[in-house]
Amino acid sequence: MTKKTADRAILALFIVMAVLLYISTANYPGIAKTTSAKYVRFLAVFIGLLSTVQLAHSLYKDRSHNRLVLTENMPRFLGLLAALIVFALTFEPLGFFIPAAVFIPVVAIMLGYRRPVVIGLTTVGVLLFVYLVFVKLLAVNLPGINF
Amino acid sequence: MLEHIAVVFTFSSLLTIAIGTTAGVAIGGMPGLTATMAVGLLVPFTYTMDPTAGLMLLGGIYCGAMYGGSIPAILLNTPGTPAAVATAIEGYPMSRKGHAGLALKVSVVASFVGGTFSVFILLMFAPLLARQALAFGPAETFLLALMGLAGIISIADENSSLIKALIAGLLGMIIAIVGTDDMSGSLRYTGGLIELIDGIDFMPALIGLFSMIQMLELAGMHQHEIDTSTLHKTQKREPLPKGIGKHIALGSGTGTVIGILPGEGATIAAFISYNLSKRISRAKELFGKGNPEGIAAAESGNNGCVGGSLVPTLTLGIPGNSVAAALMGAFIIQGMIPGPELFTEYADRTYPFILSLFVANGVFLLVGLGFAPYLARIALVPPALMVPVVGAFAVLGSYALNNAVFDVYLMIAFALGGLILKKLGYSLEALILGLILGPIAEGGFTQGMIIGKGSPWIFIESPIAKVMWVIIFLLLLPPLYSYYKNVHLGKEDPV
Repeated sequence: MTKKTADRAILALFIVMAVLLYISTANYPGIAKTTSAKYVRFLAVFIGLLSTVQLAHSLYKDRSHNRLVLTENMPRFLGLLAALIVFALTFEPLGFFIPAAVFIPVVAIMLGYRRPVVIGLTTVGVLLFVYLVFVKLLAVNLPGINF
Repeated sequence: MLEHIAVVFTFSSLLTIAIGTTAGVAIGGMPGLTATMAVGLLVPFTYTMDPTAGLMLLGGIYCGAMYGGSIPAILLNTPGTPAAVATAIEGYPMSRKGHAGLALKVSVVASFVGGTFSVFILLMFAPLLARQALAFGPAETFLLALMGLAGIISIADENSSLIKALIAGLLGMIIAIVGTDDMSGSLRYTGGLIELIDGIDFMPALIGLFSMIQMLELAGMHQHEIDTSTLHKTQKREPLPKGIGKHIALGSGTGTVIGILPGEGATIAAFISYNLSKRISRAKELFGKGNPEGIAAAESGNNGCVGGSLVPTLTLGIPGNSVAAALMGAFIIQGMIPGPELFTEYADRTYPFILSLFVANGVFLLVGLGFAPYLARIALVPPALMVPVVGAFAVLGSYALNNAVFDVYLMIAFALGGLILKKLGYSLEALILGLILGPIAEGGFTQGMIIGKGSPWIFIESPIAKVMWVIIFLLLLPPLYSYYKNVHLGKEDPV
């Protein structure tokens, strides 16, 4: 997808959002009708107007064909994203330490690091640091299984 | 004041400041990690700490990171932070010529002077400005929020056009309306999710937009070899060049003033100071080839931003830049709302925090003079190790504030959405500022409408409001002119 197309799609989305936001203010109850609703309308009108101007500018002036490149290395990018989501999903049932003990080495290896001793020491160091500083010293409540 | 000084000079406070500052220098020295990222990541953890100690820790990180970026910039031509780019222009050529020791010395002394001067200005003027804030009603509060947004939009550049910066700011304000409507108590735009009843907390957004995005970018980046040949050229001891004080003074003043302007960050301060220094220098021809005057101006400029950026943050609740926004978050979660109360009711926390910044400057001066060449090696930490460690802390930090896994999902969503917006030229600084200023703006707007009995004239009536509109206009004038010029010259849209 080109940057131009992605940008136009986002701007169109903002315009739709602005319209929906404006319409939604009709349902504001009581005093909110004359206060919060007006504020939301103010935001909706301005973002709608600005997005329209930018979209028109893009349609009439933008002749570029640059591709939208989110990253130079898509597998690693998606891998990190997937690892983060799995980390978040396992965070509640398993706590911080078990998912982190898997997340750090897996991501390091996925990103091309190949020194197991350094990876191991880094993982143990981070976990120990979190345990001593956040669990023991700061008494942060972490979910799930703790040690 | 003596009692506040006594709080700073206890063993535990000094240790906290020293740890924060040294950690800040190390974080600033790692390319890809910024002060905003470090402060944003640690704010949730300071929630359970003693408020004063927590703020001192974050203040130390801010000061240390601002200086730390210069070390790899000078020795490895790899700026640790964007604010150290100007330093690399002069510092690395000096290192190549065998003057790395002198470049590091100039950098740390200039950073110390710039930082100390700006904190002194903060200490002198913040309480006065905060007292003026007492005259502000809801209408002026609303305008203040707009002013903060106009400030960050005023730095819209070739990477983020004016309109897109405005859209990003408004998008942040729209995200901030999700949750419970204060006026009616009813829920709005929550999509039935109970996690959104209290709205979208800006900390997961901050961590996602400023920490996780950097990690996603680093993960997908081809790694380049860093030239380490200059690391062993740091031993030679040389005195500071004559006449360097003029450039340090120039940078300190410029950085502090730029820092005070909402939205103007350390990178801008460093470059403006560098350019001004070039103009007044008698050795203009040496700029770009290793002129210590350039390092002096750039470093005093970016460190001058530290105290400067905290002036509008602590007095008016308008963050001077994204690091100040993260620090403001730390104040807010401790129940300390920026404004006059910080200097009256919470004086026992605010003044020690400000005074601790003097100590932090002293700490990084000692660290820099003694260990800078060794700290440069931090820049050699491979991103493949840094990314999972920061990623783990980002997950932990997002969760810790509200003990909510939902905030971790929010953080990931903000990182991904923010990356797309960034690639399309939208300003993430404007987005986060909109998110922070949104509730302040809404509160001012809705209360103003009640007082004004539904008439919008209340936002123009008072003399203060009129002055604020003029300032908003002046802040928008340069980017408007630049936008007009681009359109007039038929320059392509940045995207």
